Amino acid sequence: MNLLQHLINGLILGHAYALVAIGWTVLLGVARLVNFGHGQIYMLGAFVTWWAVARLGLPYPVAIGFAIGAGLLLGLIMQAAMLRLTFEQDLVSIMIVTLGFGHVMRGVAGLVFGGNPQVLETPLSYVDFELGGAWITGQDVMIVVVAIAVFALLRFGLERGALGRTARMVAEDPKLAQLAGIDVRRVYFSVFAFEGAAVALAAALVAPRTPILTNIGFEEVIITFVVVVLGGIGSVGGSYVAGVALGMFTALFGGFVSPAYASTAAFGLLILVLVLRPGGFALGARAGR
Amino acid sequence: MTPLLEARNLRVAYAGHRALEVPHLQLAPGELVGVVGANGAGKSTLVNALLGWSRGHPRVDGQVFVRGEDVSGMATHARVARGLSLVPEGGAVFMRLTVEENLAAAGPLDGSDRPAHSLDEIYALFPRLKERLHHLASALSGGERQMLAIARALRLGPSVLLLDEPSIGLAPKLVTEVLRQVRSLVGPKLSVLLVEQNLRAAIEVVDRLVLLERGRILAEGPVAAMRDDPRILQAYLGEAVA
Amino acid sequence: MTGALRLAALLVSAVVVFLLPAQVPALYGAFTVIAILAVAAYGLDIVLSDLGEVSLAHTVFFAAGAYATGLLATRAGAGSWATLGAALLAGVAIALLLGLITLRLREFVFSLVTYAATVVAAALAHNWNFLGGSDGVSGIPTFDLSIGPLALTARNDAELWPFAFALLLVTLYAVRQFRRSRPGAMAMMVHLNPRLATMSGIDVRRVRLGIFVLSALFSAAAGWLYAYQRAYVGPDLFETYFLVLMLTAVVIIGKRLLLGPLLGTALIIGQERFLSFGGDVNAVILGGALIVALAFLPGGLASAFTGLAARVSTKKDPREDVVDA
Repeated sequence: MNLLQHLINGLILGHAYALVAIGWTVLLGVARLVNFGHGQIYMLGAFVTWWAVARLGLPYPVAIGFAIGAGLLLGLIMQAAMLRLTFEQDLVSIMIVTLGFGHVMRGVAGLVFGGNPQVLETPLSYVDFELGGAWITGQDVMIVVVAIAVFALLRFGLERGALGRTARMVAEDPKLAQLAGIDVRRVYFSVFAFEGAAVALAAALVAPRTPILTNIGFEEVIITFVVVVLGGIGSVGGSYVAGVALGMFTALFGGFVSPAYASTAAFGLLILVLVLRPGGFALGARAGR
Repeated sequence: MTPLLEARNLRVAYAGHRALEVPHLQLAPGELVGVVGANGAGKSTLVNALLGWSRGHPRVDGQVFVRGEDVSGMATHARVARGLSLVPEGGAVFMRLTVEENLAAAGPLDGSDRPAHSLDEIYALFPRLKERLHHLASALSGGERQMLAIARALRLGPSVLLLDEPSIGLAPKLVTEVLRQVRSLVGPKLSVLLVEQNLRAAIEVVDRLVLLERGRILAEGPVAAMRDDPRILQAYLGEAVA
Repeated sequence: MTGALRLAALLVSAVVVFLLPAQVPALYGAFTVIAILAVAAYGLDIVLSDLGEVSLAHTVFFAAGAYATGLLATRAGAGSWATLGAALLAGVAIALLLGLITLRLREFVFSLVTYAATVVAAALAHNWNFLGGSDGVSGIPTFDLSIGPLALTARNDAELWPFAFALLLVTLYAVRQFRRSRPGAMAMMVHLNPRLATMSGIDVRRVRLGIFVLSALFSAAAGWLYAYQRAYVGPDLFETYFLVLMLTAVVIIGKRLLLGPLLGTALIIGQERFLSFGGDVNAVILGGALIVALAFLPGGLASAFTGLAARVSTKKDPREDVVDA
């Protein structure tokens, strides 16, 4: 493959990354929360999509709806369990609890979906065409289109207008936001529901590219970390750019160096950023206060 | 006439230790009541408890009525919607929002029958805010922030405005200005409960005084009768000595 | 209870625990594993309870100890003393590296990097042939700590139990002494009020790094013994199972209780060994226990029990002090 082909692949991969990470970006930006069960919601989202298509015989778009619904529900359940911790801003406990949720989700997935790898074939993955020497499927195009749509929506919704203002007020000072008449609890629930739904949507679109197993999701968490940190914690536009950049980097690294160590390289990139510009984490350092 | 605000058996405890015990407190329409007392007397605890709000985790018991409606079981944001508006200590505004956004954010709440102050009224009250409309709140001076905080609270269309130490950290000239503005706000549809450390300034504007000491009401009455009460002097002298 | 009485009670229970498997041989396996994993959990406990940070890299230290042991024992024929040294060295080296990287990071960024380190270490273990790849390292020889004429070997769980028990005792003693030491006090200060700690002349970064490295020693030592217990080392050591197990063990009984992680580990391994419902259900139970302990039982099981006991035994004095607020 030549450079152009790698770049095209990187572009697609990058949009997939950005889409996988967007839920966490919002979670962090608005509610100052983290979710170490992120990868397992991705895994469950992928399984639910597969199950709706292969077992229920539903059309793929309906299956995507199922996955989003499942992710949304998971987000609500998690936030309900962590409501007290959220109001106390006990980030240490929240991190551990979300890890616990991840572990539970893996167990549940094993019980419900079994240990066999599943392959999800979507109608769009049969549509393929050549672009600059690279073979692209309809699925790839859809990932790019949906990612752009979600980011555009968020950028206009979250960074302007009344909704965005509410989000920024809660992000800056949830206690003061209550005095401004905002139902902070509802904001927390909405944000966590969005996190779950967004990562499940990403899974429904991205997971068909690879076999679906109960132990997937870890790579996605690393990717999300890198995107969120590179993009400037909580920034919607930043995480889009970071996602695409990371996709390019991974495609080139995988193409020219070693595909097995692509996520290791991404981690290396994260370390580099952390060591070079630790000042970029003003928001992160304040997150627990 | 129904009081705009009434509290019965209000008790607040932090980690099992009682911080406040107020059997009864009320605000008639058009009243400006000052809550005075030494540091740690429970003044902030009192106004925060009326909204069920705190930066800590106190336990609050008792009943609070706004225009006759029991709001005790309600969350803070719901009490705000019923007409209670608090400006907490330290002129709390959203630093990362502009002045305009701070004011817009607190626009009249849905379903409220109370007239909120329009932006024009706000600008008439605090002309400086209009000049600073597009600045971030973090770029304002202390006095301007305090004005913005009060303006933000007024934009919620309150029946009762609770002000916690609006004069803290302000130059003496500004204190008089801010308190005079507060006085001008009071009317048949808006009562104000003013927590004030600056006793001399407070006496000039309030109708009634409530003296708190160690979480209890020590004395209460019209300002004319209270201004020479030795207990008030004592409370503040004690503070000055400490 | 007076100090002497308390010490006597502790000694008696230690002896009882030590002798118990001899009466019920079926317990040897479970007790050995509990002791080993509890030691691993104490490493995490110091960072979580005393430093107040969530390290998600302690499985890496644990696995580093196990891998160092497995590789040296099978490829270089090293004895158990040598592998112990290598295991501790491997744990310290990785902790030092990771600690330096995360020196200026706090809270979730710190946790995120440690978690990423675990995922990357797992990828390395799966892909790097030097580490045995996905097959891992099998055929680890018999545990042998013999010194001269003194024969100290262990071929099975029953023979390994005294060593695991000894390692546990050493760990308990070390953690107890640490909490009473100046570094332990400094850790708490750094945890509770970093600014005040700085003003008191404490080098916050140095304390954090020191404690991170110290904590790795425990987990790596546990990994060393675990390699002999299983006679096999593989990439499964990096699975979230071990991470969630350690975290649950630390928080379920209650943070900063000396025996907390041990009892927590015993509860978890006990359930898996004697009341197992299969791997998937066990995962749900383990993760669920972690969620419940933190989200619904602030202070862990210990405070839930004491709270319950207090409610049953005495009614609370209705008069409460009025304090300044």
